[in-house]
Amino acid sequence: MSLTLEQRKLKRTGFFPAFFIGGLLAASFPILNTAVRPDQFIYQPLPALDILMDANWQMIAMLNLSFLVVGSCIMYHTEFSGRAMQKMEALPQRTGNLFAAKTILLIASLIFVLLLEMASLAFCSYHWFSVDNGFWMDLLKTFGYELALFLPASILVMVIASLCPNMWISLGISVICLFVATMLPTDSFIFSLFPFAMPFQTLTGAPKVSVAPISVLMAAGGETILFGVAEAVLGKIRRNLA
Amino acid sequence: MKFFSYISIELKKIRRSHILWILLIPIVILWIPSIVNSGMNFEMQAEGISPEDNFFIQSFMGLAWFMYPATLVIGTVLLNQTERGNRGILKMLSLPVNPAALCMAKFVVLLMLAAAQMVFMILVYFPSAAIASQMNDYNLMISPFLVLRETGLIYLSSLPMAAFYWMVATCITTPVFSIGIGLASIIPSVLAMNTKVWFVYPMCYPFYMITALQGEMAAHFDTFTIELVPWIPVAAGITIICLAVSCIFFGKSERR
Amino acid sequence: MTNMIETYHLTKTYSDFTAVSDLNLHIQKGRIYGFLGPNGAGKSTTMKMLLGLTKPTRGTFQINGKSYPKDRMAILREIGSFIEAPAFYGNLSGEENLDIIREILRLPKSSVGEALKTVGLFEHRKRLAKKYSLGMKQRLGLAGALLGQPPILILDEPTNGLDPAGIHEIRTLIRSLPQKYDCTVLVSSHLLSEIELMADEIGILNHGRLLFEGALQELKDWAQRQGLPIDNLEDTFLALIEEDNLKRGGDR
Repeated sequence: MSLTLEQRKLKRTGFFPAFFIGGLLAASFPILNTAVRPDQFIYQPLPALDILMDANWQMIAMLNLSFLVVGSCIMYHTEFSGRAMQKMEALPQRTGNLFAAKTILLIASLIFVLLLEMASLAFCSYHWFSVDNGFWMDLLKTFGYELALFLPASILVMVIASLCPNMWISLGISVICLFVATMLPTDSFIFSLFPFAMPFQTLTGAPKVSVAPISVLMAAGGETILFGVAEAVLGKIRRNLA
Repeated sequence: MKFFSYISIELKKIRRSHILWILLIPIVILWIPSIVNSGMNFEMQAEGISPEDNFFIQSFMGLAWFMYPATLVIGTVLLNQTERGNRGILKMLSLPVNPAALCMAKFVVLLMLAAAQMVFMILVYFPSAAIASQMNDYNLMISPFLVLRETGLIYLSSLPMAAFYWMVATCITTPVFSIGIGLASIIPSVLAMNTKVWFVYPMCYPFYMITALQGEMAAHFDTFTIELVPWIPVAAGITIICLAVSCIFFGKSERR
Repeated sequence: MTNMIETYHLTKTYSDFTAVSDLNLHIQKGRIYGFLGPNGAGKSTTMKMLLGLTKPTRGTFQINGKSYPKDRMAILREIGSFIEAPAFYGNLSGEENLDIIREILRLPKSSVGEALKTVGLFEHRKRLAKKYSLGMKQRLGLAGALLGQPPILILDEPTNGLDPAGIHEIRTLIRSLPQKYDCTVLVSSHLLSEIELMADEIGILNHGRLLFEGALQELKDWAQRQGLPIDNLEDTFLALIEEDNLKRGGDR
């Protein structure tokens, strides 16, 4: 029930158009990139998906992360700007539900964007490369893997947005985090666990971290749970301090 | 009223907006990993760049590629929001002021803030280089003249970009959108830089400058050449158009 | 007569000042309780504490026999509230704003229309809340409080920003609520003249302390004994506040 409620609150905030246009933009990137300079890619002796991910994923991940940042800020800006949050807290419902519903919506929008991007990668593979039997399975795996790696960042941006009534502060923190992620050295496992750095990894390599995907996935799961708990605790503290 | 007093009014309006922190914090965050990982500068010999050059260039690249444009985006929107937040702009528009001059004064304030960030960057560079030199027992400091010249170049080449963001922030009144467009426009600058028509994309100018310097410093990197024509005329054209549009649209939605 | 709301030594201190100090309120069931005090007297803070929007530094309270924070959900389910500047989503229409509250309270769809009609906002229900005038925002906030006819209403300066006709209308509406819905109302104002026309019971607050609590007639008797002017109640109120300020050492 609260999902549809949260979805309705986002009317006219531009949340959904932002994800839609953003998704199209991000999805058009590999197509443009390959169309402009096909010679650079098509002769590489690697599976099509590996080449494409290698050439485009850094940019796509960066775009997706900025969608998450802006999306989370929009979601909580509507709550805080007209002081609707105060009304919500004065109603008989758990504030945790509000957070959960918003987060699920954010992740659903991210899934939509990821699907567009996967479709674009599939198009590129069929148009410029020869595709073998395992392609669709690999694409599915890539989709699942990247989605999992985006989860910690998705929840973290929501935690940040929910804690700061002033949208500028949450936006600033998230943008700085995003920036730090681009500055971190890519060959260290510890640094790659930073939630904003995680989505830059791909199943096949770049940036090259010599750790099995399964441990990355476990780390992502751990962080996701950790941030969820953090929200529960911090939300309580925030209300007690009010 | 003189243009100068417009500027001083605008400076008063950003009091207590914590905007200086927004400018300073990224700089500090930028240098910390670079000091911690300063040992990595000695592994770049394959590219033919000296450790001290690399130490300088990596952090300045980080600044020019994302952090500086991002702070400009946030700065433009913040300057506009101080007006719109409690509808202060309505009051301003009901006073005998020239909206276009007001708009330009705000843009000048934006440039001053950007300059402040550049000064921070230089100020933090020297102690950072000193600490890193101590840590590695190797002098990582480069000539102050080069640091000043490069920072100045980044700053000057960012003016068209600042004008573009200013236009976006004045025309698109929903803050999240102007920020979204601003941030999204930073990301493709790497791509734009590698094309022949890089000069039509103002967001990549500063990064182009610093990459060109890297090309000079590193023997085995592609060099980016800076040709003043058609770059300068195009850049000037973009700046003028953007500023004209923002002056026209400034306060338009409030005056309906 | 049972008390619907009772507070015991309720206190709220911020780092540098005390907003509410040792407050003991007794609000009877089915009555309209007028909460009176100058700006910054601690009226809003008290109401926020009753709604759990801010935590008391000391003291406790009971609402309909339930206590906070143990029964937060149960308490909030019984209260319709209107706090400070109306809180709303600017990007949604008045109707959509109420619809969100309605779903959280699990009320029938028709309740939104009823509430809108009650506050006289029905014809503007499709307009975006951010385009509302101050008075309309105020009415929207009131509609949100009245939604579902809760047994307790907490209204913070509900007539702020309304024109004289609107003030009269809302006042009459509030006046009629206990009979209509059998509810208890806690309403605040900084104008005695207004409270006088609405409330059965009044509490006067200054600098966080309760100066007087009781029925209107009691206030008159009490003021007379204190040697305060009583021919005009507004003067009584002002004199009362003034005297208290003087007692506090002249600082305001």
